Amino acid sequence: MKKKFKGKVLNKAYFIIISSSLILADQLDMNGAVNSNFGNSYGFYDFSENILDLNVFYNDLQGWIQYEYSNPPDIGFANNDIRKFRLEYSTGDLVLKLGDLYEFWGRGLLLNQFDDQVTNFDNGTRGMLIEYDNGMFSASHMNGNSNIWNMGADTRTPEFNNIHSMMANRIQYNRGLMSLGLTQLRSNEEHDVNFGPSVMASHNLKGAYATWAGGNADFFVEYVDKVSTEKVTMFGTIPNDTLIKGHGYYQNFNFYLGNWGLSTEYKRYSFDKAYGDLSADDYGNQIEYQQMPTLGKEQNSTLLGRLTHNYNFNDERGVQLELNGSLLGLSLTAQYAHLSRNETWQSVGAFDWVDKAIKGYLPSSDISALPYWENYQEVSGYALNDKLYFKLGRGSNKEILKTIRYFEGTQVDISSIDTSLAWVYDTLVWNDETYYDSTEVELYDTNYTSPFNVESKLWQQSKAFTIPMEVNYIFDNGYTVGIGFQYQEREKVNRSMGNATTFNASDSSWNMYDPDDYSNTYDETTSQLANSDGTVKTQYNRLVYLSISKAPKWSFTITHDMTNAYEASTAYDPYYNPLEALISGDLKYFTGKRNNIDPPSWIQNRWVSIEFAYNITSSQRISVMYGSIQGGLFCSNGVCRLIPPFNDGVKISYSASF
Amino acid sequence: MLKKYKPIFCFLIILSTSLAEDDDIGNIIPNLKIRLLDGSKTTIHELVQDGPLMIDFWATWCVNCKKLMKYLDQYHQDYKDDGFKVLMINTDTPRSIGKVKSYVRAQDYKFHIGMDPNKVISKKLNGMVMPTMILVDKGGEVKWRHQGYIAGEEIQAKNQITQLLERNLEEKI
Repeated sequence: MKKKFKGKVLNKAYFIIISSSLILADQLDMNGAVNSNFGNSYGFYDFSENILDLNVFYNDLQGWIQYEYSNPPDIGFANNDIRKFRLEYSTGDLVLKLGDLYEFWGRGLLLNQFDDQVTNFDNGTRGMLIEYDNGMFSASHMNGNSNIWNMGADTRTPEFNNIHSMMANRIQYNRGLMSLGLTQLRSNEEHDVNFGPSVMASHNLKGAYATWAGGNADFFVEYVDKVSTEKVTMFGTIPNDTLIKGHGYYQNFNFYLGNWGLSTEYKRYSFDKAYGDLSADDYGNQIEYQQMPTLGKEQNSTLLGRLTHNYNFNDERGVQLELNGSLLGLSLTAQYAHLSRNETWQSVGAFDWVDKAIKGYLPSSDISALPYWENYQEVSGYALNDKLYFKLGRGSNKEILKTIRYFEGTQVDISSIDTSLAWVYDTLVWNDETYYDSTEVELYDTNYTSPFNVESKLWQQSKAFTIPMEVNYIFDNGYTVGIGFQYQEREKVNRSMGNATTFNASDSSWNMYDPDDYSNTYDETTSQLANSDGTVKTQYNRLVYLSISKAPKWSFTITHDMTNAYEASTAYDPYYNPLEALISGDLKYFTGKRNNIDPPSWIQNRWVSIEFAYNITSSQRISVMYGSIQGGLFCSNGVCRLIPPFNDGVKISYSASF
Repeated sequence: MLKKYKPIFCFLIILSTSLAEDDDIGNIIPNLKIRLLDGSKTTIHELVQDGPLMIDFWATWCVNCKKLMKYLDQYHQDYKDDGFKVLMINTDTPRSIGKVKSYVRAQDYKFHIGMDPNKVISKKLNGMVMPTMILVDKGGEVKWRHQGYIAGEEIQAKNQITQLLERNLEEKI
């Protein structure tokens, strides 16, 4: 019923806008864009998504409609309707917006809305916004509803729907080089959860930010305080309110000297905490409107992009430094980041963890605080009269992915129990007199050991080293040849160490590694990478691409992605394409004797694709890709998702603006 | 089910193809408000008061955008006496927005930098594909639009700018 009503409203809005457009056609300015993507693959990974955007401008009015026909899209739900719309009225100091709103205040600690169709993350609000801005002073108010879908086990169809009813306000004061802002947001939410009924939650956020921009330095600081009331309805009958408080802080100081710029960032997000690799359930903590800075390098090389850290917006602190400059005509970049949780964690039982806040403000290197380090250096430039472009990078990172058990302390064991029974009487002392009753009870005589050191640790960590490089050369006849090569070494291991192993729940004590000599320790490393031959210590990834292009019409690229190992849990992928067969010398593929039942083992390690892009006009472009693409982690706008592999298929993309 | 909607899909393609042949060339670009990197505010129509304007969309993680920026900055400086300007609209999100000024200073770029972190301007000007160049004449008329960048296309952009400046000069004479 609700959906039907929504459809009627949309159709009505669509009708009104189109009718108005036709009536006022000669006074209108408009532009639009079409983006169509089609994919069909051997692995039954098919999609067809087509999006038409129309912008209409009439005096102080602006209209926007986005129509989608997708059945199904690459990720998300099938749709054949108006997906988004907005009407804006802007005059003098006043702006009024109705429809789908995407606002961005400060650096996003309180509100940062965007629609990322690549990862299917859309935290926009359908509602109204009114804003007054006279240059020195501005005030904004917005309210409306959001339907935000999160992914579950399925890599293509969202599973969890979070319904938001929100209201937000901002005032900002500008004077000279400085701006000061105060923000407030309230969101009442209903969250789908794995089991049981939906969770009702209410969040109240208050924030402040300040910015100053000088000639050789600038800074930005933002602080947000959040109070959440969580109402678990317990089968709709028993309310259970819990109060969660948290805060977030971010600062960015930049310094400039000549052709050099140093960017420093610090963050401390503390909305809730949880041990190990678990992120606290989002309905009590950082909310989807809060899309704040992550403090990691946004990589544009494929192999480095796959190593993106899983940022924890609820509980993470960190620093990032980035130096940009130019020397002898070369562009130079050097970046370093160090992040960790806000606490260290000790497992004091089989399932019990206790935390201890990290002293000071900087991130910790303690294993149980799940630290993450990354650094990246890059040099790029032109040579040979600007005909040759080159880029060479070096990136490395190390991350503690999760702690499975982690204890370092002392333990006292029972050394002996005298089980010979000593029968005594219960006694009662009153007024300095001892009274005996007639009841006899057992008395055990128990001896304890002296306290001794116990260490029992098991965690998962990964580290990687990557070199991306690229060279392009433009010939005099207009052709350009480009070669790219990316090399990566990666390790992912489980590391265990100490003088104790697992926790004995019945005795409430750690099991010693060597019961006869507690000083004996162990230190073991187990790789989590494997291939068809078994466990592999180091994963070697190599990505090579060769491109030939002729401006301004076409470009052709062949990409070869190869690895020697994969995560031990990766499902076996039996599909491969003729390009891969050709490169590997598998001639049976072409003579009709392709072995689908027991294909060669190398197909799990190789992905080859070709892509041809053609500019039909300067504003119309079509590209056709054939081949296979490795699945894995893909991140955009700080939102990551696992994409399944694309096997032996075709992707066609068409984009036009008009 | 797919067959049912094929006509709609075909209609969209044909519509866009027929419209795209004409582009939005000749239309007046909307007078959008833009916040510049130095914190000041302006509008597109203010920027086209003195001469033509090349608008381009970029982000610090976009390699092709960076390759093109070098040339656009050169054109900005070469033709500034003719009133020509370049406006680079940055679409970095909060994840990387703090490094924008650092990068621009390191390259010693002189063109104008507009900030569009939630892609409101990009959507209104159809600049979601990066880079997208839009050449606007003095007064706001859209003269040329181009999506993407293949090495060598900067020459096409330069030709468009010089032709427009020459036409404007002839009309003036």
